[in-house]
Amino acid sequence: MIRKFTNWCVVAVTVMLTAASFDVYSQGETLFKNKCSTCHQIFKDGTGPKLYNVREKWASEGAKEGSIYAWVNNWQKAAATDPYAEQVSKIKPTSMNQFPDLTKEDIDAIFNYVDAQQDPATKVAEGPGGSTDVTVEQESGNTWLWIVAGLIFVTIILTLGGVRRQLSQAVAEKEGGNVNDYPSYGAEVRQWMWKNKIYVGITGLVVTLALLIMGIQALGNINVMEAYQPSQPIDFPHSVHAGINGIDCKYCHNSADKSRTAGIPTVNVCMNCHKQISGNTPEQEAKIKKIYEAAGWDGSEYTGKTKPLVWNKVHVLPDHVYFSHQQHVVVGGVDCKQCHGDMTKQQQTARIVPVEELNKIEGNIPLTKPTLTMGWCIECHSEKGITDGPLSDKKSGYYDEIHRRLMNNDRTLYDKYLKDGKVTVRELGGWECAKCHY
Amino acid sequence: MNKVYKSITSLFGAALTCMLVASCSSDPDSSGVEYMPDMYRSPAIEPYVDYGELRGRVHADVARSQSALTPPAFTIPYYGTDSKEVELMLPYQRKATIAFAKTHGLYADDLLITEDPEVEYRAAAEDKNPIALTPANSEALFSSGKTIYSSKCAHCHGEKGDGEGPMVKSGAYSGAANFGALAIADGQMFYSIYYGKGMMGSHRSLLNKKEIWTVIHYIKKLQNPNYGSDAAETVAADSTTVK
Repeated sequence: MIRKFTNWCVVAVTVMLTAASFDVYSQGETLFKNKCSTCHQIFKDGTGPKLYNVREKWASEGAKEGSIYAWVNNWQKAAATDPYAEQVSKIKPTSMNQFPDLTKEDIDAIFNYVDAQQDPATKVAEGPGGSTDVTVEQESGNTWLWIVAGLIFVTIILTLGGVRRQLSQAVAEKEGGNVNDYPSYGAEVRQWMWKNKIYVGITGLVVTLALLIMGIQALGNINVMEAYQPSQPIDFPHSVHAGINGIDCKYCHNSADKSRTAGIPTVNVCMNCHKQISGNTPEQEAKIKKIYEAAGWDGSEYTGKTKPLVWNKVHVLPDHVYFSHQQHVVVGGVDCKQCHGDMTKQQQTARIVPVEELNKIEGNIPLTKPTLTMGWCIECHSEKGITDGPLSDKKSGYYDEIHRRLMNNDRTLYDKYLKDGKVTVRELGGWECAKCHY
Repeated sequence: MNKVYKSITSLFGAALTCMLVASCSSDPDSSGVEYMPDMYRSPAIEPYVDYGELRGRVHADVARSQSALTPPAFTIPYYGTDSKEVELMLPYQRKATIAFAKTHGLYADDLLITEDPEVEYRAAAEDKNPIALTPANSEALFSSGKTIYSSKCAHCHGEKGDGEGPMVKSGAYSGAANFGALAIADGQMFYSIYYGKGMMGSHRSLLNKKEIWTVIHYIKKLQNPNYGSDAAETVAADSTTVK
């Protein structure tokens, strides 16, 4: 009986101790996240030095007993009393905050939490921040192979034909006949064509027509830039930034709601995150190193030696077209993905998304003309209702006035509005030449 | 002689075929055939367009050498002619200290040379938010603050300001401040956003002064749901005054 009771006691005490240790552990986590983590990382130097096993480090490098706790409470006091702490105070240019309200237990809880973490670098680099690169498509390589194979084939046929002709000529010569009697290549072909003139005629007609049609179609492709994907100085995966890490488009393309152009981010914007993120895989590290070179970041501080990055423009409009991102994003309430596709899934550099893919985007009006052509703009302007954007919430005075004028001046439009309940961009002048061409 | 002529013709033919075939494969950096190339690279300078090659002629002196730049130092954005707005856009009166060159790359700034890197940060505690929160503007301020916050801050600091944004949750970034545990003055918040703080870089190229002060109102609201609530009640009664 007593034994059973002791057993119970042991179990109960163990449970309580575990709970207590969990409590201390989670306390350490909370404290670390609220007080330390903005400057200190566990395994990497950041604004402050890394904290992993820092107690052992201080003890082994000759700090005074308990000096690290004094440091956390007030680093200036600790630096005044301990030469090691004074040396530590010179590692980073920024000075540490003071935490006089942290007790020794609190600080130990923080360090216990930190030391219990596992270094992600020793694990296989994978997961959310990991690489999601995709193999490069092989299509263009294949076309080349076919062309080369065809050329080789044609050469073989011609060579064999030539050999055959020369052999027959030689035979004819040997047999005493006149070499010149033997018909030339061209004459032979002409003879054969004359013999099969119906087939040759029909084939010729078909080929000519086909070439004509193809030519006209090719003319139609002039200035169509669908799927245009120029190379960039850094292979930038939108899927990692906008997709996995959920960064808003307008963080980097900062002027989309302020200006004609959406804006290409300056390198200091990249550095807002990449000061800490240097990549998990060798490919990522190589790419991010280019940012560091551009920003003049040597891994621990800025050197001031910057180098410009030259990004290639993807969506190019001719000078005779006026397009404003601000008008579309702010007034029209158009979401980025409606014209640029779902960039959260774009694993390679940016490209002009073909209209077929844009049509699959939820809420998009299905269009037929290729992306970024005038037909494409016009089609959307004729379908898009301006009242189904956020305009109705914003109560923009400009559009109220236009509504009023529509009702008073143009009865046909107003009647149409009463029928379909929608005012399209076109009805507000979205098809006027001078809206975009001036 | 005839044979030589023939072989030359066939060689020429082969070369022509090769050239034709080669012209089918396109340069991936070329966007294709344009109707009017000079309309794409016109005399009017367009952003991010390369003027290094015009109608097949190379102009090395105007070739693009950089993409985007931060606004030049000491410039202010044009923000209408309303004197109050203009005043808000005047250059920030507090300087970054010399340590910010190495920690935040602000080499081009007029830096304050001082031993103490935080002297201006501490002094910034006295700065008041120039955009006053009134019953009439609180709702509009919070809604525009939310728009700014969700596109410029939320991916690290989280929609609720708890420091658990998608960047942090995915494990890519650590150490975004939890606003709930952050007790600093408005002016210090401004200083931190404007010049950067710790791991965070300077955000002055992304947000102008008005936007920063607006988003500070929203962050205060995240820290304390009752922030400006007296004002909000008055507004609810009279919702037509919203801008």
